[in-house]
Amino acid sequence: MKISAKNFTAIALVGLAALGFIGINGCVEGKQLAEKNGMKLWSENCQRCHFSPSSNAFSNEEWKTVGMHMQSRALLTSNERDKIIEFLQN
Amino acid sequence: MNTRNVFRKSLMAASAFALCLATNSYAQEGSDKSDLSKQVSSLMPGESNFMMAGLVTFGFVNQSTSYTSGGFKATDKTNSLGDVDRYEFSPMFLWRHGDKLLAEFEPSWDGSAIGVNWADVSYFVSRGLIIRGGYIVLPFGTYTKRLAAGWINKLPSDPMGVDMAGSDFGVEFEGGFPLGNMKWSYDVSLSNGFALANDGTITGVGINAMNNGKTVTGRLALLPLSNSSLEIGASGLVGSLATPAAATFSNINSTDTKGPSLSMYAVDLNFLHNINPVQLNFKAQYSTAAVSNMNYINPADTTSYTFTNSTSSYFAQLSVRPTQSKNKVLKKLELAMRYVNYTAPKQSLWGQNYSEVDVSLDYWLSWRTVLKLGFENLKSDGTTSFTNSNGLDGNSTSINRLIIQFATEL
Repeated sequence: MKISAKNFTAIALVGLAALGFIGINGCVEGKQLAEKNGMKLWSENCQRCHFSPSSNAFSNEEWKTVGMHMQSRALLTSNERDKIIEFLQN
Repeated sequence: MNTRNVFRKSLMAASAFALCLATNSYAQEGSDKSDLSKQVSSLMPGESNFMMAGLVTFGFVNQSTSYTSGGFKATDKTNSLGDVDRYEFSPMFLWRHGDKLLAEFEPSWDGSAIGVNWADVSYFVSRGLIIRGGYIVLPFGTYTKRLAAGWINKLPSDPMGVDMAGSDFGVEFEGGFPLGNMKWSYDVSLSNGFALANDGTITGVGINAMNNGKTVTGRLALLPLSNSSLEIGASGLVGSLATPAAATFSNINSTDTKGPSLSMYAVDLNFLHNINPVQLNFKAQYSTAAVSNMNYINPADTTSYTFTNSTSSYFAQLSVRPTQSKNKVLKKLELAMRYVNYTAPKQSLWGQNYSEVDVSLDYWLSWRTVLKLGFENLKSDGTTSFTNSNGLDGNSTSINRLIIQFATEL
């Protein structure tokens, strides 16, 4: 499949705009997200794949381990992981 | 002895006694503190943590299979306490070193063979970067990586066609980020890849790569709603396919020395919505795989043939659970329905049009333990003219299954 110079320019511009948007906003946490506590994040994120776990399912040290495992599975942000684990440890 | 001397001696004796008491008391307190310190130290968490999780599934399968071939029909019925596709014992071992390193190992026994789902080590480099190496689950779609476990899957079986790309030896880079009030994530891997079999199917090459080519797999996902209830993902996989020593296939153009290649694409969607008192969950995944055209040899008569080696599959699943119901039994029940479609290449030895309708009524004993009562109806129609093929045009298979399955996370 051949891409014309015009189409290539359009794709490149869209790509650059997307990268710029991500670059500017990529690491910025909106107010709504930033204000969520561990319980809120626990109730919202776990349920996408499975029901939310009870805090007594694992010990505090195990929750740290489970948190790292789940961050890599569900690709949670680091803030989300930290808040959820802190909630489950208490 | 005068009174003054007696008083002085008494004072000295009293001082000595008090000093002795104080010293002993201090020593005792020190000893208590030391014991307490030892006890606390023994309870204090160390840098490392080892734990086991994983899953177990077990159940009963009643199956009725009808074959139709050349106008003849045969039916086969079986009852089995578990079967290879629905029994699984998979302990998962997790080792954590501090907050940077995590090793994961999940062996799995399906009643006939022991395999390994993943065996890898992850380094949490920064808040948005995790690097993993070893035998990893490739980031293609979401089913294999997130939804396949029996206690997570709301239906007793895996949908057809989701086992590609599976696991492979390689390295992976991944992370999740906020995007204002939305979120996005990336997941990219470089792995040994796959080989092309003589019938045009794809097999893993394992730890010893058979060529210089590597396979790149990646997934980008966006969670556009601030409550993270919707996730949309797009995946791609590209790589050259290894040619085994015993290969009988060849390039269509005899002057072309380029080996076969594979490209795969997928989109996935996961949406969770609460309409009091019911929780709805919709999950779907579509994937397609294409292998460059080659000439193949029919093992029955050694004639050469070719076909468009393109495979596609999808599933769509809806589950409903009255999580907010006041009835204690009702709130533990969940109804899940799924439609599966899989199309294997026409005129290949394995050509078929396959579809599946699944329904399951689940009873959740806890957040991680479920008892499923499932019914599955599977239909497969062959789409090839080769008489030695299971996918022979005109041949069809229909399967009805009743399954009772118990699944729990360890």
